[in-house]
Amino acid sequence: MMDRKDIARILERAMGQGADFAEFFWEHKVTTAISCEDNRIERINSGIDEGVGIRVMSGDKTSYAYTNDLSLHRLLEVAEVAGKAAQKTNRSFRALDFTTPVSNLEFTVEKSPDTVDIKSKAAKVMEANNAARAVDPRIRQVSVSYGDVIQKVTIANTNDIFVEDTRVRTRLSVNAVAAEGEVIQTGFQSVGGIMGFELLEENDPASLGEKAAQRAVLMLSAKPAPTGKMPVVMAGQAGGTMVHEACGHGLEADLVQKKLSVYAGKKGEQVASPLVTVIDDGTLPKKFGSLRYDDEGHPTEKTVLINKGILEEYMYDYQTAREEGRESTGNGRRESYKDRPIPRMRNTYIAPGKEDPEQMIKELKYGLLVTAMGGGQVNTTNGDYVFDVAEGYLVKDGEILHPVRGATLTGNGPETLQLVERVGKDLGFTIGVCGKEGQGAPVSDAQPTMSIKELIIGGTGGPGNGQVKIRRV
Amino acid sequence: MTETKYLSLAQQVLEKSKDKGISLAEVFLVDSEELTIQVARQKVENLKLAQESGLGLRVIVDNRLGYAFTSDLSEEALNKVVEMALHNSRESVSDANWELPAPPPAYHEMALYDERIFETPLEEKILFAQEIEEAAHSFDPRVKITERTAYQDSRYQICIFNSLGLQAAYRGSYCGGYAVVVGKENDDNQTGFAMQYALSYQELDPVKIGREAGQKAIRMLGAKTIPSARMPVVMDPYIVTNFLGILQNVFSGEAVLKGKSFLKGKEGQQVANPLVTIIDDGTMPGRLGSSPFDGEGIPTSATPLIEEGKLKGFLHNSYTAKKFGLTSTGNAVRGSYKGTPEVGITNLYLKPGPVSPEDIIKEIKKGLYITDVMGMHTANPISGDFSLGASGLLIENGEMTRPVRGVAMAGNLKDLLLDIDMVGNDLTFYVAKGAPTIRIKSMSISGT
Repeated sequence: MMDRKDIARILERAMGQGADFAEFFWEHKVTTAISCEDNRIERINSGIDEGVGIRVMSGDKTSYAYTNDLSLHRLLEVAEVAGKAAQKTNRSFRALDFTTPVSNLEFTVEKSPDTVDIKSKAAKVMEANNAARAVDPRIRQVSVSYGDVIQKVTIANTNDIFVEDTRVRTRLSVNAVAAEGEVIQTGFQSVGGIMGFELLEENDPASLGEKAAQRAVLMLSAKPAPTGKMPVVMAGQAGGTMVHEACGHGLEADLVQKKLSVYAGKKGEQVASPLVTVIDDGTLPKKFGSLRYDDEGHPTEKTVLINKGILEEYMYDYQTAREEGRESTGNGRRESYKDRPIPRMRNTYIAPGKEDPEQMIKELKYGLLVTAMGGGQVNTTNGDYVFDVAEGYLVKDGEILHPVRGATLTGNGPETLQLVERVGKDLGFTIGVCGKEGQGAPVSDAQPTMSIKELIIGGTGGPGNGQVKIRRV
Repeated sequence: MTETKYLSLAQQVLEKSKDKGISLAEVFLVDSEELTIQVARQKVENLKLAQESGLGLRVIVDNRLGYAFTSDLSEEALNKVVEMALHNSRESVSDANWELPAPPPAYHEMALYDERIFETPLEEKILFAQEIEEAAHSFDPRVKITERTAYQDSRYQICIFNSLGLQAAYRGSYCGGYAVVVGKENDDNQTGFAMQYALSYQELDPVKIGREAGQKAIRMLGAKTIPSARMPVVMDPYIVTNFLGILQNVFSGEAVLKGKSFLKGKEGQQVANPLVTIIDDGTMPGRLGSSPFDGEGIPTSATPLIEEGKLKGFLHNSYTAKKFGLTSTGNAVRGSYKGTPEVGITNLYLKPGPVSPEDIIKEIKKGLYITDVMGMHTANPISGDFSLGASGLLIENGEMTRPVRGVAMAGNLKDLLLDIDMVGNDLTFYVAKGAPTIRIKSMSISGT
């Protein structure tokens, strides 16, 4: 870690040209990645990435410079370049009085990845692989990938913030391929958190492998998804891709302030069914998107975005908060020292309601039951979004007819949230890496089981008519 | 970093590996600089200056592969990286197909570096980004918001040394710009996007980028969904390059070996319409995916993948080539110094046909011209299934009549390749992927 006096000098140099804010971000990241394919450990890769990013703001102009040459004279040089690029104001530099804010999340990592040898990590990878392969002879390939990262950061700025933190994340994912005749299908399952190796003691790699393989095999018998509009029930276990896309991104303050969001200017308005409460929380223990401090040194918090259908809050970083003369919500995140922070989600979820999930499925007359969501995307400007159905079933009179494949659900964020008819009492999280402006951020999202009046299903199976034989599962 | 310092670093790591008893070692070194200028409302919003260097070390010990990387190039870090690579090799499987390439007789001479980019002052580059925005807004008064307009450039040096005596190095650069703008009318907001990247500064045209983004936003105003139907679909070159981005996995020799390509075992067979020829060519002059050698130091080449609808072969690095009993096609690609060289693309393109895009549209009674898709990253290259959100323009009686959004388009890549029944003459490259306009005979479109 770097010396406080040196950091203060660097900040002073950055401000020297007459800026009104400067920030220092040092990052030291040690990663390990292990992958298994063809029934064997093929790749083991580890390394160190270390660098410094310096951000200088004056008015609404930001300049950002980074380097991984960490000698003091080079950092002072970089600070000067960043400072020069910002426009001049008449602020004078005052001496810094560094303080560390109090975090709202306290936890300890039980087994830091650097205390566990490669052999033990590789063994967990093989457990997942072996279990997946044992599921069915039609499993043709299994890819397991393990990753851990120990990220140390020092964040300091001319608002006197000084934060040092160590973030540990561990992740395991399984992708199984099943084939029968000409048909190939895949199944994916992953687990991850701000945890060390204890992640894989609390979550059995074998059952992860089994789930992925079972899904791949199940999809072999799936029929093409129908086309057109129909009612949808999203199961709690399906994850939260929908909430992430349908409203999460549109509530990020940078998009709102630029009027690039359908939710811009709607604070205080009814934007969703009164059954819908949306929360973004960076303080949930163990979750993949949790952090003690965001990447600007601001403590993370639990932020209620939509309360019973009323839009209450957006997600702010320092820059967007400053624009409105308010506090950040602790959503300023960046992928690495190479990126300037922007408002990003942490763990985003729709709060559970009161209904019994099983009952909700039983009462679905005809429609799609989504039990696993894949990736998604949104155009925040008009609110149109899509998400991939990784596992779904056509349901008639509460009975499952058959699994469907190749379906994407398409909707419009604000419209979908108004169409939520029932909300279950369960809640299921999935993890993901969210991409925005080319920066990846680890997040998690969750939803309770929800009934949506109708969504557009993009299948190839022709219009659904409900005249299909029942298969009990 | 000076070239001499750079080459001596690579040499040092090879010697350190040798001292540890590692007989097969390969050092990859990269040093790069980057500039990004983002402009909105004619003011510079963000300016980013970057300098990055790093080293990756691949070792093969007792036929076991190990990899490690570092951004810290101090003596101590270099010692550590050798140890980590050696350590990582111990738990990997033993496989006699791992090998490092011997030095090739020669590399292609390529003009990949344009000094003019770096002689151009920052002020002129800011002006360039401002011109993009100005052109987008002056296209139509309804272009109201700039999400982002930007100028970017980068220069880099790459060097690969291995213990078999291979010593390869080159430097390159590129520049470009893009625009994302929003058209506004009543309560309707629609986005338009355009970009251009090139090896030479001279080639860039800010006005063209801006106008195209503005035009794309405006033509989508008032877009509505349409009823579900099967209909012919025309895709603009950008959308086709998006599909090439998924198909590149299917052409990977690695995916074939792992049973993850639906083209496995189909060499010589008709896998696409005879109008379809797809080539990967790392030697094309002036293209962003061109380089004298790949991520293992093997010279790049032109590799026909599909020729007149017939599958000709796959892309290989030295490992997959050896497993196939072939020679590498020079397609070992590294995302950065942090990763092992894996099979990837150089310049991947669909060869243009004889028809103009206008003539393709003219022949359609009722169809959809697709200009934007959502969720391409959820398409499954293994099964070939895709289901995407789409928007574009409705074609009626040979003319584009009104904008369409909020529909979904689904199918399988296998069928898509066979169902291409017209290929345009307007080959356009987006970074390292190129395609003309194409028509698909019939696709399932989901709407209301």
